[in-house]
Amino acid sequence: MPEAAKIQALRDIRLLAGLSEATLRCLADVVTRRAYPAGTLIVVEGEPCEAVYFILAGHVEVYRMSSQGRQQVLARLGPGQTFNTVPLFRSEQTNHASVVARTDVTVYTASTGDFLHALRLCPDLALAILQDFAERLAHLTDLVEDLSLRPVRTRLVRFLLQQADESAVTSKWTQDEMAAHLGTVRDMIGRSLRALSDENLIRLDRGRIILLDRAALEAEAQN
Amino acid sequence: MEQWTLPEIDLALCTHCGQCVAQCPTQAVEMQAVGPVIVRPLDCTYCTACEAACPVGAITCAFEIVWGA
Repeated sequence: MPEAAKIQALRDIRLLAGLSEATLRCLADVVTRRAYPAGTLIVVEGEPCEAVYFILAGHVEVYRMSSQGRQQVLARLGPGQTFNTVPLFRSEQTNHASVVARTDVTVYTASTGDFLHALRLCPDLALAILQDFAERLAHLTDLVEDLSLRPVRTRLVRFLLQQADESAVTSKWTQDEMAAHLGTVRDMIGRSLRALSDENLIRLDRGRIILLDRAALEAEAQN
Repeated sequence: MEQWTLPEIDLALCTHCGQCVAQCPTQAVEMQAVGPVIVRPLDCTYCTACEAACPVGAITCAFEIVWGA
């Protein structure tokens, strides 16, 4: 790919959007384009951290697995987003979570060595990483608050509101996926959905969860 | 007309254990040579019992989350 096109593709990555031309050129020299079919385990928790990834197309899911096999989904990421930057800076440099391709995925990837070298050369890249980490920390603080302080029903209502209010791109969720995302089990999700439906706050349709009463749902989300 | 969404069955993952057939409350699904097939789609209520029963995750009942009118 010509360097100009590569630099433009890098500029479409949120983390890199505000960086100088010189920094983007530096990164363009070290990134490689890779494609993964849906279902590929791209990053394995506990393995050595070998690379950072910038998503050009497709969607991935970041998750951790407990020793009992329970999955906690930490994030779903799409085009313009970045993953596996955190383990670079940990002393043991092992992957902190697993990442699986939910759809066919195309990424730019840079080896840890090359990326750390670019960070040392380009202060604007280092600042962008710090800002990104601050946002992730805020997200994880919210997640901890949700998991430790709120009952499953409230977590589910907050999740439903967030999903329904999000951008035009609608993603589909199974009850197992919702459970993994909300740190609970499928039965609890099923029971909570039925209760919300019985109270006319939502309607369960074929393949659709339809939110009906915004005021009541938002009041419930504040609990 | 509303799209008649049905559970998705991944026959490559299916082990033909028959749990989905046993758990379906409306007998909409039957086990055939290729694996489970929703032979009476209009009887399927999308209750997700088949998805919950499948021990290998071969059945998927996904939901969009949207606002009502």
